Parts: sequence; C-alpha cells; structure tokens
Amino acid sequence: MRTFWRDGGRTREVEVAPASEGRYRVTVDGAAFEVVARRLGADRLELETPSGRFIAEISATGERRFVRFGTLDFVFTLEPAGRRRAGAAAGGSLEAPMPGVVTRVMVASGDPVVAGQPLVALEAMKMEHLVRAPRAGKVREVGAVVGAMVAGGVTLVVLESDATAAD
Amino acid sequence: MPVAGRGAFKKVLIANRGEIACRIAATLREMDLAPVAVFSAADRGALHTRVAGEAIEIGPAEAAASYLNIPALIRAAKSAGAGAVHPGYGFLAENAAFAAAVEEAGLVFIGPTPDQIRMLGDKRAARELAARARVPVVPGAEASSREALGAAAAQLGFPVMVKAALGGGGKGMRVVNDAAGLAEALESAQRLAKSAFGDGAVYLEKHLERPRHVEVQVLGDGRGGAIHLIERECTLQRRHQKVVEECPSPAVNEALRERLTFAAVALAQAARYRGVGTVEFLLEPSGTFHFLEINTRLQVEHPVTEWVTGRDLVRLQIEIAMGGELPAQPSIEWRGHAIEARLYAEDAAHDFLPQAGTLTRVAWPRAPFVRVDAGVESGDAVPVHYDPIVAKLIAWGEDRASALERLTRALDATRVQGVITNLAFLKALVRARAVQRAEFDTEWIEREFLPEFSALISAPAPEGALAAVALAELLGVGAAGSHGARGADGGAPGPNEPLAEPFGTLGRWRLPGLE
Repeated sequence: MRTFWRDGGRTREVEVAPASEGRYRVTVDGAAFEVVARRLGADRLELETPSGRFIAEISATGERRFVRFGTLDFVFTLEPAGRRRAGAAAGGSLEAPMPGVVTRVMVASGDPVVAGQPLVALEAMKMEHLVRAPRAGKVREVGAVVGAMVAGGVTLVVLESDATAAD
Repeated sequence: MPVAGRGAFKKVLIANRGEIACRIAATLREMDLAPVAVFSAADRGALHTRVAGEAIEIGPAEAAASYLNIPALIRAAKSAGAGAVHPGYGFLAENAAFAAAVEEAGLVFIGPTPDQIRMLGDKRAARELAARARVPVVPGAEASSREALGAAAAQLGFPVMVKAALGGGGKGMRVVNDAAGLAEALESAQRLAKSAFGDGAVYLEKHLERPRHVEVQVLGDGRGGAIHLIERECTLQRRHQKVVEECPSPAVNEALRERLTFAAVALAQAARYRGVGTVEFLLEPSGTFHFLEINTRLQVEHPVTEWVTGRDLVRLQIEIAMGGELPAQPSIEWRGHAIEARLYAEDAAHDFLPQAGTLTRVAWPRAPFVRVDAGVESGDAVPVHYDPIVAKLIAWGEDRASALERLTRALDATRVQGVITNLAFLKALVRARAVQRAEFDTEWIEREFLPEFSALISAPAPEGALAAVALAELLGVGAAGSHGARGADGGAPGPNEPLAEPFGTLGRWRLPGLE
C-alpha cells in the first residue's frame, strides 16, 4: 500500500508491503527498511525498527493523523495520491489560517500586489493576523467580506497564476 | 480564620470556564461550599460543568453573549441560590461593572471592590498611585492626540511601547522602533483597545532593554492591611503572553526581595486593596525595578506560588471575601522551587495560530510533585471562541534544577491528540540552555529561541514515525471513531511505556532543543 503524507512543508511517500506474519517492508521516500509491527489495542502499535523499539499511539481527525512515536509527537495529513502535487503548483488561493472575523480587506479584484503585502486582516481571540501575498502578482478574486466570521481553511483571496509574475 | 463582615455563603457561582473553573470548584468543595458552573452553548457538557455538579446555560457561544453577559450571570447566580460569585481570570474578572452588579444583586463578589478594579485597571491611574507610594514606574507619557503622543515618544526615545490604558495580559501592546511606525501602531492599538476593552485610550512607555518580568503576590483585607506571598518570575513570554512561570525568581536575592515586596505591599496598602492581587514589575539587568501594573484578580500562574508557600490562593480569596483576617506576614514561609508551563491549543509551526476541535486522546503525567490544572479530558472539545489555554503543568523541586527536570519529564509524558498544541514548543523550551541557566529576558523567546526552534521543528519527521502512520492506516489502528469514549482512555499511559528513547537514535533527525 502506497500513501502520501504531508509532514510540515513537505510530502512524504510511504510504501508498506507485508513480508511475513507481523513483518513489513517499509519504504519512506525511497529508503527501505524492515519493521515488525504488533497491535496493542485500538489505537496503539508496537514497532521494531532498525532504530529501536517504539510504541506509537495514533488517532485520526479527518485526514489528519496525530502520531506519538516514543515520547515525540507528530501530525501528518493524508494526501490523496492524485491531488498531492496540485496544491503546491497552484499556490494562488490564500486561505484563512485560523477561524476568525475579517476586520479589513485591503485589496480588490484586479489590484497588483507585491510579495509580503498585507491583503486581509483576521481577528480572533483579540489577536490580529494579516494574510499577506506570498509573491508578487495580481488579485483575481476577493472572497473576504469585512465583518464576516470565517472558518479556518476558507479561501480569502485568489491571486492570478504566477506565470507572469516577475518576483 | 474567623468569619464575619461581608458574611458567609454556602454556594458560589463560578463565572468562568475551562481549567480555572475546574480549579476553583476543587477548593470550593474542599471548603464544603457548593460550586455552580455556567456554560455557553459551545461548552455543553464541558469538563467544568461536569465537575461542578450544578451547571446553568447562560447563552450562545460568543463570549459577549455568554461569559461576558452580566445580566445572564446575575440571573444564573440568583436562580441557583448562590451567595457569592468567583470571576476566575479573564472574561469579567477585572470588570468593575460586573463586580458592582454582583454586589447590587446582594451577592458577595470574590475579589476587590468595584472602585479598586476601576482605578487599578486604568494603567494610568495605577501609575499615579505607584508614584505617590514612592514606587518607581517605567518612564512614560499620556496624551489624547496622536501628535502629542508622537512628540512624547521622541522625548522618551525609541523604542517605546504603545499600551491600552485599560489593557491587560499583554493584549493591545505594541513595540515601536521609530517615528515612522508610530502612527500605524497607535491606530492599530486604539482599534484593538476599543474592541477588546471598550475604550480606545492608549499611553506610551519607554521600552526597557532586556528586562525580566517579576511580580509580587499580594493579599489585602480591604481595611488597609496587606501582606505578600513573595515573587514569581514570568520572563519567558512570547508576544507579551506568559509561557513558563516560576516561584521564586532566580533573579531575585534576599535583599532585592525585601525591596520588591516592600514596594508591592506599600501599593496594596495605599489602595486599601481587598483580595488577592499581583503587582508586576520590570527588572533591569542592573537590579533596578519599575512598577508595571496591578492585576486585580487571581493569576493564571498562581499555582507556583501556592506550591512554594503552601497556601491555597483561592481559599484565601474566599476567606477574605467572608471578611476574615489575613495570615500574619511572619507565618508566610516558602520552600523549594515551582515551575509552570502553559499548554495552549495553538500551532507553533504556524505562527502560533489558535487551534480548535475535538481531543481524541488526553493523558496527563502521573508523577511525584507534578500538578496538572486541566480544563479537558479525552473526548472534550476545544471551542474556537475562547482563549486557547488547555491546561497548566506545574512541577515542584527542592531547587530550581530538580523542578525543571520534573517539568521536562512531565511534558514528555503528556499526550494530547486531536487538536494541535504548543507541547513540542514547551518541550524544546524547557530544554534550552538559557532556560536551564535562567539567563533570559522578556524578548529572549522571540529574539533567540524561536528562530532556532522554527528551523528545528521544520526538520523532517523520522522514518519510523512515517512507518507508524502508514502501518496504522493499513492495520486500521487509530482510525476515526476507534478511540474510546470520553475519558475511557482516561489518561492511561498504559503498561507499554516507550521501550526506547528515540533521542539521538534517528540519524539526521533530533528533538528540537536537545543539545
């Protein structure tokens, strides 16, 4: 089984192939190693890896997996194999990074923007967060409305594709 | 302590939520007082309503319509037959109109008088009071027009701090480095102050170079008597929000403690302060200290003082509210060292943005000399509407090094899944050499720690962790819905503690902060 996982800013590719009873051949980003895995209840695994033996505790929320590995914690997001490159290539949609209220909209459709320019201000829990242009370009669409409550992940501003951007 | 004066009560409404509501309920029970919880629509079934036994819904999710809704809270207190109201911290804890409404309803407000809250809550008035009590204040300036504030800033010399007159807890504060940035900072600070505190007034303070934040816990009887429970140090802050606090301060020796506590008690006496309060100071590397502000409430970080002095600050608040006498100053002793870390639902890898959702797994450390003040268990929700504090972990030791060692282990043993928290940030922070040596200032985290932390947290996860998540997917381990119901996981680290420490065994990958 091959799966793709978002790990911070990068996508990791993991292939798991059963070898024999409880034994698996695991390939992470091209590096292969053998793992002995044993279930410990509904949400816990015991793993023997070349680096040592670990208890992993896993829970899922949507596509997100919370993984405690030994005493360390990681969050991975399952990426559908077909879509995994699409997000990085488009890069034009700027999403609300947290739930909040839109307090200012500083650009309109058609405006040219420079890298780092603040586009929309969000306020949550008395904190202000500025959504900035990741690169120079032109605003294609503005979805944010002042005073609106938005959920995390909602698209606020769409930039034109960066084919013509100088930056 | 004899009970007289404002009178006894048997039932107390807790006008708050989360960990502090749970913590207050615990002391009320110990004192044979009945706790009454309140909750918003977003907090139905929340832990603070379960521990209280009696809970009343006060309004919709938005804080303005629920936890900040004075008439709804008074109605709830009346209908439950409560004799007193404890405000906790945050929300209405420093709202004079709320304290006045409670007293007008014939109930006891567990806190200062409305006049004291109003006067001390206005940072400008508090600075005047400090100056009258001969307590040094941070050089600063007030003016109503932006032009006059600009001139004053030039005179003070940049950098300056822009602060909300009615602010607190670091909210509405901005550092400005030059005249060019002042106009935008004033505009933004005034707007935030207006929305957060209902008054857009701001003032300026000279920005001190590399100060430490030291505060004195005071108690006043409302009749001019006041004592102190020594100091705390809360220098480890991120954007003026405290992250790790300790008692006593590693930067304070006996001679400095004498001067700090004398100044703080003088202020409390001058205000004829009633209740538990905190006098905050900035301490310069030279040992010079300046009054910052008074917080007229229980502090988030009160547990470190409780552990070192052996005094329950919530109990003391209640005893003062019942008109009792203060403990005698010589009876206040302290021993060892306590350190607290604040666990927030925020994403340290993404500019600490607040997080929300359902906690799939929560397990707290079970270890000697570790206290956890939590507002959640497995299965509970972290709503988007409120401050993102989830829990506080506090450890005690005979000395600072052993307290820090216990806190480090306690953080390592903590499990929180389902909502992203700052746990990894805290684990790295307590391991930083500067923290172990207590060599830091209020901007050290942002200036020195965060750049290093950001670089390390963005390192790739070890292959073993990816093998684990992929194998879990294949074997159906930890799938959505497979987790126990609320509390079923019950904080069980289980018999299967990690068999190997992954530190240092994973090649190019290492734990952020480990040296």
